Amino acid sequence: MKMSERRSITGALAAATCTLLGTSSPEPVQAQEEPGWDFNTALLYYGEDNDRVQDLSLNVLARRTFTDDRFLTLGLTFDTLTGATPNGALPQSVPQTFTQPSGRRTYTTAPGDFPIDDTFRDSRVALTAAWQQPLGRLSTINLGLSASGEFDYTHLGLNAKISRDFNNRNTTLSAGLAFAMDDLDPVGGTPIGLTPMRNADNDDDDDEGGNRGPTESKDILDFVFGVTQVISRNLLMQVNYSYSDSSGYLSDPYKILSAVDAVTGDVVPITQMPGIDGPSHLNYYELRPDSRRKHSLYTQAKYYMDGKVLDASYRYMTDDWEIDSHTLELRFRWPLSDSRYLEPHLRFYTQSAAEFYRPSLIDGDPLPEYASADYRLGDFDAITAGMKYGWKTGGGNDVSVRLELYKQSGNVSSSQLIGNQLNRDSYPDLNAIIFQFAYRFGM
Amino acid sequence: MRHGMLTAGLILLGTISGCSSMGVEPWERDILAKEEMQLTTDPIEATTDDHIYFSKEASSGGRGFGGGGCGCN
Repeated sequence: MKMSERRSITGALAAATCTLLGTSSPEPVQAQEEPGWDFNTALLYYGEDNDRVQDLSLNVLARRTFTDDRFLTLGLTFDTLTGATPNGALPQSVPQTFTQPSGRRTYTTAPGDFPIDDTFRDSRVALTAAWQQPLGRLSTINLGLSASGEFDYTHLGLNAKISRDFNNRNTTLSAGLAFAMDDLDPVGGTPIGLTPMRNADNDDDDDEGGNRGPTESKDILDFVFGVTQVISRNLLMQVNYSYSDSSGYLSDPYKILSAVDAVTGDVVPITQMPGIDGPSHLNYYELRPDSRRKHSLYTQAKYYMDGKVLDASYRYMTDDWEIDSHTLELRFRWPLSDSRYLEPHLRFYTQSAAEFYRPSLIDGDPLPEYASADYRLGDFDAITAGMKYGWKTGGGNDVSVRLELYKQSGNVSSSQLIGNQLNRDSYPDLNAIIFQFAYRFGM
Repeated sequence: MRHGMLTAGLILLGTISGCSSMGVEPWERDILAKEEMQLTTDPIEATTDDHIYFSKEASSGGRGFGGGGCGCN
């Protein structure tokens, strides 16, 4: 036997002995994911009834796994939005004419219809990047960046989250912080809140004079604290508290309120001078406070029952605009075979109105400090019902399709309605369809 | 704000001590390790749903960060 062979046999024996004694492995043995890319892709269609908003969205989330539990996640979203959205004004028994947000032309709404601004068209690109890595044996850190751009809006955000395992990795505590800086450059300039809607100038030049302000911005600071707890072999729970502070321009530059007669409740008509193209009725641009503080408590449970998984979550949110909301979500994953499953989904949502929400302003009364007739700040309930079907391809990739229906029904307090408003619709209910095709593959 | 953080801190402390008797041994994690038992099983669906509801309702966040990123609200 040669010397080198003897040495290698001795080495092998020593290694084997150490392995048996458990001394050769300084690092704890953990399952490691294979380095490589994992792609989550999806095409989403969101469509509202009555020619309101339609969105076609392409999403890609790519995750690169490195050795030692380090991950890079890159996200890309591209949205194309078309359609119309309620402008906040009340329906009338006569046609109503409004100035487009650009200030160039006017549009007219038929009697009885909710006034909708049909010049709404936008595309949005959003990018995210996140890095995750262990910090010592029990902690993990996540650092992220987000940016998005629309025709009239840009967003830039940073976030960080740290989590640590306790109790034999049965309890995980996490704390996160996010900061976003968003800029708005509305079409036709930013309107000054609670001033009357301007006339159209009928030329194609950008006109940001008159009651138009410069571009605006807002900052958003978010904190999230969470606990994830393994309760038993088949039950996992999470509780998160989050705080969000927004400050800056929080109004919607495209939303208005009707100014109505104090007795009839009808919107006050305007007699335009000959040759002037402008609104047929008196409307004011909305104005919201320049700060908002939200608190949310979110809890989620995952329960495994003989192959089926129940995913239940509940969120309570309250803010200093006096909006309270409750959200309950249920998903049930039902395997049909080793490679196929069905997942029904139900979501119930209810919110109270913001303190400054009102269906109209009363002509002749002093203007309030803040006012908005945006239906999203009103008192409404919403329900989502949907179904997802997923399967694994022969190559081991995941495919899923889901179809969901979303319905919002609003309620304006009768104490906020005047005269003829009681006989007309005062809240633009919403019905939407959500369809998503998703494909996940690795490389 | 300060009151909220204090409450959150107390809940977290209580959870660490109160939860120490719950949980499983490392060799009992077979079910918890399954993909369908992760808190977020479909990250794209979670993101798109958050975006839809952020645009149409006055609430956002909860599961994660809720702020900004869109001119729709």
